[in-house]
Amino acid sequence: MSCSMTPRELVKRSLELRSPARVPRQLWLLPWAIDHHPSEVAEIQARFPDDIVTSPPFYKEAPRRVGEEYAPGILVDEWGCIFENRQRGIMGEVKEPLVRDWREWEKVRVPRERLSVDVKQVDDFCRTTDRFVLAKTGARPFEQLQFLRKPENLFLDLIDQPAELFRLLERIHSFYLEELNLWAETDVDALVFSDDWGSQRSLLVSPSLWRRMFKPLYQAYIDIGHRHGKYVFMHSDGCIADILPDLVEMGLDALNSQLFCMDIEELGRSYAGKLTFWGEIDRQHLLPFGTPEEIAEAVKKVHDCLYRGGGVIAQCEFGAGAKPENVLAVFEAWEKIFPG
Amino acid sequence: MLVDIQEALLKGKKEEVEKLVDQALSSGLPTARVLNGGLIVGMDRLGVLFKNGEVFIPEVLVAARAMNAGMARLEPLLVKEGIQPRGNVVIGTVRGDLHDIGKNLVAMMLKGAGYRIIDLGIDVSAEKFVAAARESKADVVALSALLTTTMIEMRGIVEALRSNGLKIPVIIGGAPVTRGYADEIKAEGYAPDAASAVEEVGRLLKG
Repeated sequence: MSCSMTPRELVKRSLELRSPARVPRQLWLLPWAIDHHPSEVAEIQARFPDDIVTSPPFYKEAPRRVGEEYAPGILVDEWGCIFENRQRGIMGEVKEPLVRDWREWEKVRVPRERLSVDVKQVDDFCRTTDRFVLAKTGARPFEQLQFLRKPENLFLDLIDQPAELFRLLERIHSFYLEELNLWAETDVDALVFSDDWGSQRSLLVSPSLWRRMFKPLYQAYIDIGHRHGKYVFMHSDGCIADILPDLVEMGLDALNSQLFCMDIEELGRSYAGKLTFWGEIDRQHLLPFGTPEEIAEAVKKVHDCLYRGGGVIAQCEFGAGAKPENVLAVFEAWEKIFPG
Repeated sequence: MLVDIQEALLKGKKEEVEKLVDQALSSGLPTARVLNGGLIVGMDRLGVLFKNGEVFIPEVLVAARAMNAGMARLEPLLVKEGIQPRGNVVIGTVRGDLHDIGKNLVAMMLKGAGYRIIDLGIDVSAEKFVAAARESKADVVALSALLTTTMIEMRGIVEALRSNGLKIPVIIGGAPVTRGYADEIKAEGYAPDAASAVEEVGRLLKG
């Protein structure tokens, strides 16, 4: 089957279950992969170019950052959160909270520089590519709270529920609404938000707490996208099966999750055709420790369980520890299923 | 009264746990009974609820905070009365890895189960594990890693313990870690979550 559609059309058809000529592709590349396997990365990208890209933000005023995100040492991000890192190529961890005490919450400054996006340049970017363009939006209310408070403090806060927690969350959320509204006015194809909600086996917090505190925020993000005719994509790591019905009900278009932390057959039975599965292939076990044959089986399983004339994007992450031959095998396996 | 302590602990009510522990001691209940029948049973029940997906990390953390408050009341008495912990567990996140929520949860659950915890923190070298295990006369060494690139450190730590003549059982855990990997590196124990870690440590000590 020859593929004469543009990548953008392929993705749109996949999202709308309109039988694309093949599954669209996207490789998530962490700096670790480029550091360790530059030639293999180049080969994969040459053979299997991405159908999905993220627009550069074209900030007129650069967000204030000190340090490098993926380098050993300290990074102070645009919120003022301090990340410590010991390994090149992966992201650091917050060890000292910016908000040690709730009396300090008002010192949290939202990074308004992120609202200085040059819309004309973004639109030019979208016009000059035939690929599906994601907005460089950074909404992640739960993780942002963790970065500001340190995860363990935040988990306690979620039970203690001090009034300041809600004031801070409102400040963060209002900023995200502004940012998403801004991007929704551009020509990008989709808005994106994220928050890792799962552990290996379950949600990190109770589904009822998630529904009460966070679901309404995400609904607002999805509604902004849909009001502007955009698709809305979400990323969330871990076992998040408990909130999948909510995400479907909320109208989310595509979800990037760790499928292999969940029961893929069950996901297929319950949700295939109801939202698009934006990857992935198991990056905790198969990509670093599996064989190309096992990768091919995993891809087949994802296809058989989740593909319904669309509804799947062949995404995987080339991150720390992944074998290049396995990453390549992901795209080769998809190519075998959709030759041409 | 011991059931009340358990219930207060499960609800994460720190002040109530402190008050109930004080009341139990004033009423003449032996310290060991307050510990074993109140706090430890409470944490056991919490572990079951966590494992069954009925409570989540925030509830575990507030319960552990309440347990710590109760323990602070008991500890001087336990020392005075010469009551020993169930065992010494050296725990840490392996070299190169800064992630510690999982490790901290395991440490809290083990402490709640009556073990003495020697927490070496994050980014811990094999040498430090060996030194701490020797110095504390550890009964179990517990290793945590979140990254596929750091879990490989676990093998070196097991080997370092053995080559230093320490035949202490090792338990491993963390997102990418599996029972198969534990077998491969000859770690005696593996736990997929914090509650299972308590059971596994108990099994290792019996064995």
